[in-house]
Amino acid sequence: MKRLLVITLVALFSVGLFGCTAASNSPSTTDETDSSTNKNTNSESDDGEGPTLTYWYWADNSDYSDLMQNIITEFNETNDKGITVVGEEYPWDGGGFMETLFTASVGGGAPDVATFKLTSTPLFTANDLLANLDDYIENWDKKDDIDPNIYDIMKTASGTDSIYLMPWNTQVLYVYYRPSIFEEAGVEVPTTYEEFLTAIEKTTMDTDGDGQTDIYGFGMRGATGGQEPWGSFIHARGGSFDDLTSEASIRGMQDFIDIYENGYVPKTATTDGFNEIIANFKSGHTAMTIHHTGSSADMVETFGDDVSAFPFPAGEGQWTSMGDTENVIFESSEHKDAAFEWVSYLAAEKGQEDWTVATGNVPVSKTVQELDFFQENEFMKASIDGMSYAGIVPIKDTTTEWINTIWPNTIASALLGERSADEAMEILHEGLHEE
Amino acid sequence: MSKKSFANKCFTLYLPLGLILTFLIFPFYWTFVTSIKPEHELYGATVTYWPKDLTFASYQKLFGEFNFLLPMFNSLLVATITTVVTLTVSTSAAYAFTRFDFKGKRIFMSLFLTNNMFPNVLLLIPLFAIMRSVNLLYTPLSLVVAYATFTIPFSVWMLTGYLKDLPNSLEEAAMIDGANRVKAFFNVVLPVLMPSIIATGVYIFIQSWNEYTFAVLFTNEATRTIPVTLNNLIGQLGVQWDLLTAGGIITIIPVCVLFFFAQKQLIEGLTAGSVKG
Repeated sequence: MKRLLVITLVALFSVGLFGCTAASNSPSTTDETDSSTNKNTNSESDDGEGPTLTYWYWADNSDYSDLMQNIITEFNETNDKGITVVGEEYPWDGGGFMETLFTASVGGGAPDVATFKLTSTPLFTANDLLANLDDYIENWDKKDDIDPNIYDIMKTASGTDSIYLMPWNTQVLYVYYRPSIFEEAGVEVPTTYEEFLTAIEKTTMDTDGDGQTDIYGFGMRGATGGQEPWGSFIHARGGSFDDLTSEASIRGMQDFIDIYENGYVPKTATTDGFNEIIANFKSGHTAMTIHHTGSSADMVETFGDDVSAFPFPAGEGQWTSMGDTENVIFESSEHKDAAFEWVSYLAAEKGQEDWTVATGNVPVSKTVQELDFFQENEFMKASIDGMSYAGIVPIKDTTTEWINTIWPNTIASALLGERSADEAMEILHEGLHEE
Repeated sequence: MSKKSFANKCFTLYLPLGLILTFLIFPFYWTFVTSIKPEHELYGATVTYWPKDLTFASYQKLFGEFNFLLPMFNSLLVATITTVVTLTVSTSAAYAFTRFDFKGKRIFMSLFLTNNMFPNVLLLIPLFAIMRSVNLLYTPLSLVVAYATFTIPFSVWMLTGYLKDLPNSLEEAAMIDGANRVKAFFNVVLPVLMPSIIATGVYIFIQSWNEYTFAVLFTNEATRTIPVTLNNLIGQLGVQWDLLTAGGIITIIPVCVLFFFAQKQLIEGLTAGSVKG
C-alpha cells in the first residue's frame, strides 16, 4: 500500500512537472526569442538586408522537393525586400505532418510559414496559432486574382468570417467520360443535371446482345471517399450538407439510389472505392466516373484521345468537391509582412505558375489559369470551370467518423434497398450535425 | 546416412526450415529486387520476380541527388552516442542498485520505471519545449537526450537483472586480493557482464536507429535521421518505391553488421541468468 502511494505520488509529480514546463514554454505566454534554427530564422539576417523566414512544407516526391527549393531560391534572389526563405521539408506521413506542425506550434517552435490542409483549421485556430490574414488580403493588389468562392471556403474551414489560410493549389472533381461510348449511345456532353442523368441511362449498354450489361453509364463510388461525388447529386437537386433532410437533398439521394437500382452502375458500387472506379473506367466497363486531375495522365495513357472531361452539370444547384493545399502564417512569426510576401508569391505570382505547371495541380490564380498550359488541357479546364462552385464537406468534430463509417454504411444499406432515401438522409444528417 | 533417414531429415528439418527462411527472407528479397528494377518494370502491369533490365540507378540517385549519406551519418552519430551514454549511465546505476543498500533504493527504482509508463507522444510537447529553451533543438544532441529518457530506465532494469545473478563473491575475492571497488568493477565485473552489456547496447542502438516520432520533430534538414528521410519518400499521392527500397536496403546493412559481430555475445547476454547453478 505504501509502495503504491509512493508510485502514485511520483507519477503525479512527474505529470505536474511536465505540465508546468510545457505551460511556461507555450507560445501564448512567451515572447522569448526562438532557439537554434528558429533563432536564426526569426531575426534579421546577418547582413541586415531583410528578414529570414522558416517555411515547412511536404513534397510528394524528390522531384517536387527540388522544385520547391528552386522556387525558394528564385524568390530569395528576386524579391526586392531582401527576404530570405529557408525551406525545411517534413514528411507528409499520411497526414502526420499536421500533427508535427501542431506539436511544434504548441511547444513554441512553429515556423513562420507552413503548407496546410483545410481540415486542420479548427484545431489551429482554436489554439490561436494562426495569423489572421483578413487585412493582408484586403490590401493585396492581387486579391481579385483568386475566385471569391475560394476565400469563402477558407472562411468556412475556420468556422469564422476571417481568413487564416492563403489559397495555393487545388484538386477539383469533374466527370471523366469516353467520347467513343457517347458517340455509340448517341449522347452529347451534358450541360444540365437532367441531361447528365439521361446520359448515364443511355450509355448503359449491352454491346454484344447477350442480355447482360457490358458498359455501365457511371462508375459510382460507394466506399469511403464517395461522399464527394455523392454531394454533387445532392446539390444538383438543390439540397446541401447543411440540411440533408430537406426535400431537395432527399430527391438527390433518390436519384443516387435509382441509378443503382436501375442497373446503370456496376453492382459492386456499394463497396467500390477509388481503385475500383478507376479500374472499371480504364477497362471500359464504365462510360463515366468522377475524379480529379490526379488520374488524368493515367487515363490519357490508357485511352489516348478517347477520354475527356466535363464539369459536373448544374441542376437546381451546383457543387463539386475540392481537395486543397494552402499556406498559413503563424501568429508567433515576428515577420508576418514578409511572410505574406512569400505566401502571396506562391498564391498568385511566379511561385504559383512554377508549382502548378510542374505538379499538375489546379492553380488558384486566375492569371495562371489563363495560361495556354491550363486552357489547352481539357482536364485542367474542367477543374477550373468547377472552381467557382467547388466546396468541402463541413469540417466538424463528427466529420471523420461520418466520412469513414456513417456515410459508406448508410449509403450501402440505401442502395441495397434496406433503407429508404428519407431514412438514410435522416441518419446522415444526424451523424454529421449531432453536437 | 541411409536413404530413409535422409528423406526423413529433409521433411522434418530442411523443408520446414526452408519454408520459415523463405517466409522471413522474402520481404528483404522483394525490397532488394524492387530497388534494382527500372521504372517501367517497377510500375508495369506484369510482376517480375527478378528484373529483366537490372539497374542501380536508384542507389546512384539516393547517394547523389538525394544525399542519403547525411542522414546515415546523423543516424549513426545519434545511435552511437545514445548507446555509449545510456550504457555508461545504466551500468553504473544498475551496479549501485545491486551492490549497495541505501535509503530510497526502491523508490528510485520505481522512479526509473515511471518514465516508461508515459506514452512517447505525451512526452513530445514537454520535451520539445525543454529542448527549445535549452537551445538543443535541431541538434543531434536533442535526440540523444530524448532517447535517453526511455533507453536509460529500461537498460537499468535490464542490467540490474543481469547483475543480480552475478555473485558478490567475485568482487569480494578481488578486493581481498587487494583491488579497490573501482578496480574490481573494471577488472572483474565488467568482463563477466560484457555479453549482457552488448545485448543491452544492441537494443539501445536499434531503438535509436529506427526511432521516428522524436526524430521528425527535433531535427531539421541538416540533422535528419534515416527514418525521417525515408518517410519523405512517401507522399500524399504516391510513393517513390525505387528510392524507398534502396534506402531500406542501405539502412539495414549497419544493423546486420552489428548483429554479425555481436551475435555470440547477444545470445549469451539474452540467456544470462536463465540457468541457475
